Amino acid sequence: MDLQAISKNIQTSAKVVGTTWPLYAFVTSNPLSGYESLPFKEACFRVFTKTGSIAYPEVSFFKHMMEQDFLSEKQVQDILNEHDFQGEVKDFLSALNTFQNNSQLNPNHEVDQILVKWLSVFLDEGLADWQMPDKKQGFYQAWKSLAKYDQNLAFPKGEKLPKSSLDAIHQLTAHLSEAEQLQCFENHFAALPGWVGYIKYRKDNQTDWQENFPLELEDYLAVRLLITKFLGSEVKANVKPSQSQQQLLNILQQCLAEVENHWQKHMLQKLNLKGQTQDKTAKPDAQLVFCIDTRSELIRRNIESKGNYETYGYAGFFGIAMDYEAAFTGLTRKSCPPILSSAFKVTEQNTSAHTQSFQDLETKHKKSEFKGYFLKRMKNILPSAFGFVEGAGLAYAYQLLYRTFGKPKKNKNSASNSVESICETQMHKVSDQSHLSVDEQTQIVKSAFDLTGWKTFAPLIVFAGHGSHTANNPFASSLDCGACAASPGRHNARMIAKLANSKEVRLALKEKHGILVPEDTLFLGAEHNTTTDEIELFDAEAPEEFKDQIRLLKKDLAKAQISATSERLGQEDSVNQAYKKSTDWSETRPEWGLAKNAGFIIGDRNLTKDSNLDGQCFLHSYDWEKDKDGSALNAILNGPMVVTQWINNHYYFSTVDNNMYGSGSKITHNIVGKFGVVQGNGGDLKSGLPLQSVKLTDEENYHQPQRLSVFIHAPKSRLNSLISDNEKIKELLDNQWIHLLVIDPERENQVEKYVGHSAWESITKTKYAEAVMA
Amino acid sequence: MNSTIALQHNKSQNVKTDIPWISRLINPILWIFFFISIGGIGIYFVEDATTWTLGTYFRINGLSLAIFSTVSFFGALISTYAKRYLQGFKFQKVFSLYSLGFISSVLLFVISNHVGLVIASWFFMGLFMSKLIGVNSDWGEARAASNYALRFFVASSLLLSLSLGLLAYYSDALFLNVIFENLSSLPYSVLLSAALLLILAGLIQSALFPFHRWLLSAMTAPTPASALMHAGFINGAGILFTIFASVLIASNTLTLLFILGGFTAIFAQFVKLLQVNVKHKLACSTIAQMGFMVMQCGLGFFNAAIVHLILHGFYKAYLFLSSGEEVEMRSPEQALKIKIKALQAFIVLIFGVLGAGLFMLLTNKTSLTDSSIFLTLIIAITVGQATYNIIKAKIYSYGQRLMLSAALFIIGIGMYALIYNAVSLLLIELNYAIVPQKLTAIEIAFGMLFLLGFFLMKLGIYRKTPWLYVKLLNLTQPHKHTVLKFKK
Repeated sequence: MDLQAISKNIQTSAKVVGTTWPLYAFVTSNPLSGYESLPFKEACFRVFTKTGSIAYPEVSFFKHMMEQDFLSEKQVQDILNEHDFQGEVKDFLSALNTFQNNSQLNPNHEVDQILVKWLSVFLDEGLADWQMPDKKQGFYQAWKSLAKYDQNLAFPKGEKLPKSSLDAIHQLTAHLSEAEQLQCFENHFAALPGWVGYIKYRKDNQTDWQENFPLELEDYLAVRLLITKFLGSEVKANVKPSQSQQQLLNILQQCLAEVENHWQKHMLQKLNLKGQTQDKTAKPDAQLVFCIDTRSELIRRNIESKGNYETYGYAGFFGIAMDYEAAFTGLTRKSCPPILSSAFKVTEQNTSAHTQSFQDLETKHKKSEFKGYFLKRMKNILPSAFGFVEGAGLAYAYQLLYRTFGKPKKNKNSASNSVESICETQMHKVSDQSHLSVDEQTQIVKSAFDLTGWKTFAPLIVFAGHGSHTANNPFASSLDCGACAASPGRHNARMIAKLANSKEVRLALKEKHGILVPEDTLFLGAEHNTTTDEIELFDAEAPEEFKDQIRLLKKDLAKAQISATSERLGQEDSVNQAYKKSTDWSETRPEWGLAKNAGFIIGDRNLTKDSNLDGQCFLHSYDWEKDKDGSALNAILNGPMVVTQWINNHYYFSTVDNNMYGSGSKITHNIVGKFGVVQGNGGDLKSGLPLQSVKLTDEENYHQPQRLSVFIHAPKSRLNSLISDNEKIKELLDNQWIHLLVIDPERENQVEKYVGHSAWESITKTKYAEAVMA
Repeated sequence: MNSTIALQHNKSQNVKTDIPWISRLINPILWIFFFISIGGIGIYFVEDATTWTLGTYFRINGLSLAIFSTVSFFGALISTYAKRYLQGFKFQKVFSLYSLGFISSVLLFVISNHVGLVIASWFFMGLFMSKLIGVNSDWGEARAASNYALRFFVASSLLLSLSLGLLAYYSDALFLNVIFENLSSLPYSVLLSAALLLILAGLIQSALFPFHRWLLSAMTAPTPASALMHAGFINGAGILFTIFASVLIASNTLTLLFILGGFTAIFAQFVKLLQVNVKHKLACSTIAQMGFMVMQCGLGFFNAAIVHLILHGFYKAYLFLSSGEEVEMRSPEQALKIKIKALQAFIVLIFGVLGAGLFMLLTNKTSLTDSSIFLTLIIAITVGQATYNIIKAKIYSYGQRLMLSAALFIIGIGMYALIYNAVSLLLIELNYAIVPQKLTAIEIAFGMLFLLGFFLMKLGIYRKTPWLYVKLLNLTQPHKHTVLKFKK
């Protein structure tokens, strides 16, 4: 077999693991994305044979569902009978319990351990001062030059290692057939999915670290094969599921589908399908655009109830495919969905009016940078480390007390010395550094109106990105905006507001697209702090004539914060409780993020306005009547729907097997390399959400794992043609990674469910209601 | 529309998880422990008392109060932290019970006057700590780590039993105060054997090289348990050696302590540099600091060792409890090389000397010929190092740099002196709290070694020795059964 074929097999076999994102940019993606070309059920089965992981909810989930009448005992019994399961429901549950809770020894223990030792020192991103020697030459070469000193390896004296990693793989696997080779590679990758996933991340994103210190999949494989050889270990084979295990997996799949069915029925009951619109003739006082994030539902509902306000749901990167470069640090982060490549880069520029404040801020930043450097030097260097501890000990005592008993600080709305209030966002193209033409700018703004089916223009229009604010939380970025690749969405919001306020853009909107934005309309960027439900308006530059309106809006937003937090936290004094959660260093559940997500509703706000959706749904505004050619819907399906599917699958798998796909409990996390966590003393890099993000306690779920149900308010014919035009979407639907329900306005909002391969099941709403009530 | 039917799964977001009542109860108990011991210190000073005895089995002196108030402070603070941090943890209740067990063992240990009680409480400290390491008993690696640590602690307890057994047998007494009075009548060989056993027992508990591996395998403990371990439990050697200072002095083993401690201090400070996860990095730092503490004992400054363990406790508890803050996006860049100008070097030198002078003055270590000079040297280099970093910080004006350097060392040394003098007052009736040693060639040689270590680090020469890298990396791996041993 030639080297090229080996390379190809490496790429193919690596699909058995997902991508591990760094914690500073934690994208919630589907850990089984490599299996999406298979039906969900088949993927879960394959995963079981590969890793022994059971990708279905635990016993407690089904018990809970039965208590809640989302699954009746009879239904379960029917499913059991159908699969010839001998016994009753309780026998099934106890069989399931045994199946799911068997702990096994790791057959690759020694190989894994040695390899993890080398991977973690190589991949370090600045935690260690003394770096692994020769890192610049890449993992295989660096390891090769150190392996002879590694006493754990039983390295044969005088052994000469192959020149390159591909040579090594060739030497060690050339005798295998293609199928055997694939199998072998797959098993080696699946042994450490977290670390391999991070190698994939670095490669896919061409990070600076990867460019400076390359580590390719073949390097991993070569080193692993060599270690395996030196230790004389066996390559582990696939798990052969027993007949009863297979039976249980089949039953689980069907029970899950049953729960999902039931949930969809409940959801439909919540929707206003009568079709009457309560369009107020009066222009709203303000319109606020929030991310489609499930957390927006709560705050939108609470704002709407405070006055004459209208809210929209739109992907929180606001259609700007950008990277954001932070002021002062120069660090660049992606700030648009990971499925898009960033065409633009946004930077901060100080406005001349604020030169002094800008310099102050810069000094402040440099001082804090120096402080970090200073402390590090004092702690590391001999013997100042000892003197430093003695001199600074009492200061640490004070810090201990302050952070344990100190009063939480509240964010001040638009602090006058923040970057947002003294700088302006500037955008240029990544490709050639040039600025965007007026047409290009206009297109971004126009898309926002097109996709959301915008109708009237209020005097104030707020684009609210969202971000979380938590303390001592390695998973902080997992709570930020998923549509911004786990960055806070505030800068996208500021950018689009700036574009929409531009005179040239408004002129182009009017002349070329017939969209008339009134002169007395002001756009503002904002951030919805999802931990405290505070909304910070970036209004430092707002013209004088809007000040009164802004003041009134802020007043109502403060009221909305009170009612939203008390709904969420259910406590007296909920706002202070929220701030406490946001700043408490011992808080492992500062907020629930997107937990409980289960549905995605694409349609007019009137569908959902009257209901409390309990934070379970992503909401995208869409007006089927204004989207005659279906292009807006097409964009929504390919963008937001794919992202919500990633998020939903991520939450699903993190919940059903938290150790395998999540990252286990936060209380024993150990941050490695500044980018990830391992459990306890080390081991595989953790790739998903921690237990505290999806579970109430070690045993009780908070997020109820189920696949995403997408409800779309649009004619079925339009959807049909879109599905058949989009191979990827069709694959996701046919393979049942998501469910799709259409609410057809052309047929009195009749609801039909996509059942695969262009077939729909027609069910009217009344029928659903009967089923529920029965 | 029937909206009374609750939406899915019907749990509104405001579900509160209950903290087990035991954990709620134990938290205030620990704070009460702390306040009582602080009250005790107050009374101790007011009454000018030396030692309270409760029968012959217990005696409470300044050292008991100092240690107990320290450990109960950490216990209480960490339990307040853990109350929320461990919410929903299946073993939260057990965690609280073990913590209480541990703190109570420390209390017993520092007030015991009977050989049997000393040994028993020493063992219980270890037992409870190993239980905390394996508190998540569903987790295979945690069980393995717990057993592994327990083996060390049992060994330490056995060595301590042998040591105290020898002393008790030959002095025909079971009470510490009687044993201490009779030390001079014991044969030297007995004293030496007892001292060596005692030293081993202490070094194991404080994870000094080569007994450091249990600590590096103990990260299966929840973060607050680690904080308690690194701020409280690990100090065993310092406390043990201070209580038995007279034995160490009579057996003339201080120099040995100095060497063992000093070696670990240098070794661990180097291995800390190559750690890539935050908890192992902190653990290596703890090992180094414990080495330094033992070194202070070896120099005859037991009071300084006690002060060090208290201050290090604050430092390390804070770093563990905030260890979730280490995630950071960085770009790979070369460490900047810093060049220093002659004038700046001169200022560094002056400040170092001034710092040393202030330290000598405030902590009353004015001799230039005994072992205290070693501690002064460390402070001088620290001040020099701080000044060296600040003096080149372009972000500040020259005046600011001078002010900042001066302020930092004056405040730092001032705060240290405050605690140092208070603790020294507490230990005043221990005749052996401060026994400066004559400077011998060994101390001077080690002083040079420290300086050498300093320059090696500054120049980064070690980076060019790959075999050393691998050696040190392997020496600091956790025990193999505590990583990746199980599938689930």
